[in-house]
Amino acid sequence: MDKDSALMRLLRTPRGAISAVVLGVIVIAAVLAPVIAPYGYAIQNLRLANMEPSAAHWLGTDEFGRDLLSRIIHGARTSLAVGVTSITISMVCGMALGAAAGYFGGAFDRAVTVVVDLSWSFPEILLALILIAILGPGLASTMIAISVAYLAQFTRLTRAQVMALKSETYIEATIAMGAGSGHVLFRHLLPNAITPVIVAGMLATGDAIILEATLGFFGLGAQPPTPSWGAMMSSGTAQIFIAPWIIIFPGLAIAITVIAINLFGDALIDALDIRKRLREN
Amino acid sequence: MKTFLKAAFLGTSLCAVMASGVLAQNATFVLGSREVGAPSYNPIKATRLNAANTFIYDRMVIQDADQSFHGQLATSWESAPDGMSWTFKLRPNVRFHDGEPFNAQTIVWWVPKFKGTENAFMTDAIDKVEVIDDLTVKFVMKNPDPNMLFNMASTFMGIPSPKAFDSLGDRYGIAGAVGTGPFKLESFTVGQQTVLTRNDAYNSASALSVNKGPAKIKQLTIREIPEDSTAFLELRTGGVDMLMSVPTDFLPRLSTERGTKVVTLPGTEVYYMPMNTSIEPFTDIKVREAVAFAVNQKEILENLFGGVGAIANTFLISGLAESKVDPKLAIAYDPARSRRVLDEAGWVMGSDGLRAKGGTKLQVKLWTQNGTEFKRVTEVVQAQLKAVGIGADITVFDAATITAQYRKRTEHQLAVRVYSWANADILDWFHSGKRLGHPNHAMWNDPKSEELNEKAMKGSRTWDERVVNFRAYHEHLLANFVFAPIYQPVQNFAYSESRIVMPASIRGTRLQGQTIVDIDVRK
Repeated sequence: MDKDSALMRLLRTPRGAISAVVLGVIVIAAVLAPVIAPYGYAIQNLRLANMEPSAAHWLGTDEFGRDLLSRIIHGARTSLAVGVTSITISMVCGMALGAAAGYFGGAFDRAVTVVVDLSWSFPEILLALILIAILGPGLASTMIAISVAYLAQFTRLTRAQVMALKSETYIEATIAMGAGSGHVLFRHLLPNAITPVIVAGMLATGDAIILEATLGFFGLGAQPPTPSWGAMMSSGTAQIFIAPWIIIFPGLAIAITVIAINLFGDALIDALDIRKRLREN
Repeated sequence: MKTFLKAAFLGTSLCAVMASGVLAQNATFVLGSREVGAPSYNPIKATRLNAANTFIYDRMVIQDADQSFHGQLATSWESAPDGMSWTFKLRPNVRFHDGEPFNAQTIVWWVPKFKGTENAFMTDAIDKVEVIDDLTVKFVMKNPDPNMLFNMASTFMGIPSPKAFDSLGDRYGIAGAVGTGPFKLESFTVGQQTVLTRNDAYNSASALSVNKGPAKIKQLTIREIPEDSTAFLELRTGGVDMLMSVPTDFLPRLSTERGTKVVTLPGTEVYYMPMNTSIEPFTDIKVREAVAFAVNQKEILENLFGGVGAIANTFLISGLAESKVDPKLAIAYDPARSRRVLDEAGWVMGSDGLRAKGGTKLQVKLWTQNGTEFKRVTEVVQAQLKAVGIGADITVFDAATITAQYRKRTEHQLAVRVYSWANADILDWFHSGKRLGHPNHAMWNDPKSEELNEKAMKGSRTWDERVVNFRAYHEHLLANFVFAPIYQPVQNFAYSESRIVMPASIRGTRLQGQTIVDIDVRK
């Protein structure tokens, strides 16, 4: 599959283009946070606490007089870093497990399936909460908790893909020609199974950002003064009547980011859809 | 975000619906967030009790806001001139909720029960209790205790029914609690709620209550809500009738709320930050000194609490004579001194704004508890420490977990805490070498300190002597920087005017049993 053309197809659709631009802006803001944020995220100025949006503080200040815009920009780092890292870990581990289970079958497959089905039956938030209770609050444990929570999804998906592909004649031919398991898995099965997993990963990243925000809201994610959108909303609840912007703006940031990721994911599904391409031709 | 808002609104509307079903003469009060999670109503063994304890139990005496003492289960008392005995006359015709009589035998059983408990210090000076007649007891003392009446007025001195106490054993205070107070315990779920029903036979109200008979409220539900803003929303939407403690930063908002009335009483609380003196880097007195002088009490008072309350420069509330220490020893914000002593101790400022010594960064753990005020004070203290080059990592615990962590002794370094007590013996409680870990979070165990403690606790014959001795102990603790004092709040509570009728005056040191019998519910 030609990557460039898939990307071009994606960008040609309005939702693909808009979501790509929004995501691009968010990623750039996160990466360049120390440069573009107007103030430091931890600089308190208690005299200016709970100030409404103004020319000096575009989004107002929080209960410690910290600039909300700067905290949201820095918070993007936390959200994206946690979302992307944990889903990447989850995807890599899930693909390895799922591919092995689907390809080799047998007792190993049954064991993996049982564990995956078991963890699939718990809500992600519950799994994450249990893991954080064991590991202790903090960014690293949040990432681990989210990756474990989403592991089942990728394992199942990869396993199903590999099992479907395994019975294709070209795989049988490859095996008949004497190719080893490693060759079949890495040269033929995984490259063909990866597309849906990537799309699922993209969509799961949005969920992971919400999960991170939820854990942050409970005070279990990044610890102060490190900004995280969920934790900012949590402290905003105490000020909801006198300074509603403290809860509104981080909430908007979460909503916009997750919507952009989901739209991008949808656009990606269409862009990568081989059947649709055939129809168009 | 949608899920949060949904959950929040669902919760509030659910409570509003529940509240509309509440019958007249029933009321729902919310405990202060700091009292959330008190694990039992066993006044003899507990180290934490919530305000509802004084609704279930009466005490021998209770204290008024002017520090005077008034009889409750005791009607009069006198002490021998040498302080070696105290005689109490007991109130006649008082019965426990289980029908057992209250008399001299109750006191003979009760006082020795404190032996071996964390609260033993309050009865330590009593050698034995002698029965003079059915309603008169004499405490024969091992040594004079000028603090006797204060101890007898403590919430931990609620007198339980001997029969219920002995039969429930370790489950006493959780499965049941039986006193002589205005309310009987109906049910108790730790950390959630306590349901109390009126004791219709109540006849032991003190002079601090106008109503001498049973309470006016028939059923009282005491809820525990850890988040102040949630409790505030509950009051606003009519889910509850009274918040027994309201954070000071809510006052501006509450004053604009129609139908809500706020009452302010003088405070008995102090915010402070103990330092674990048994582990690095706080084994070095200079680091402790630097931390103590890095806390800007005035900034916290003015900006977090809108100037309501007072700064704390010592460990005790300023109403106590023992807090009037040598001004040189009072701990008041001095960042220059902080930086100087850190330099002297060899902690050099790095380019990242953190100090380091021999490759080790000056990065410490700063613990705090759930609750808006706690977290806010802690975040400001974190920034203030950073300003002199000390990095602090915040961890938020719930009340039960943090105590378990303190008991491990080596896990904690700094913690933002608050206590509520109006007597200098709190110095012993938090700093005696006998209670390392919890409640001696500072892990302070020093021979000189123990000697001064012993003298203050047991070597004073008169009140004045006791003041001098406690002041000396207090000064020694201040000179060793085992804590950083932060802030002294006032007590605020808020109630719904359409539901609750408060008495004209509220007497006593806190909103407790003596006032609860005077509170009425609008029908």
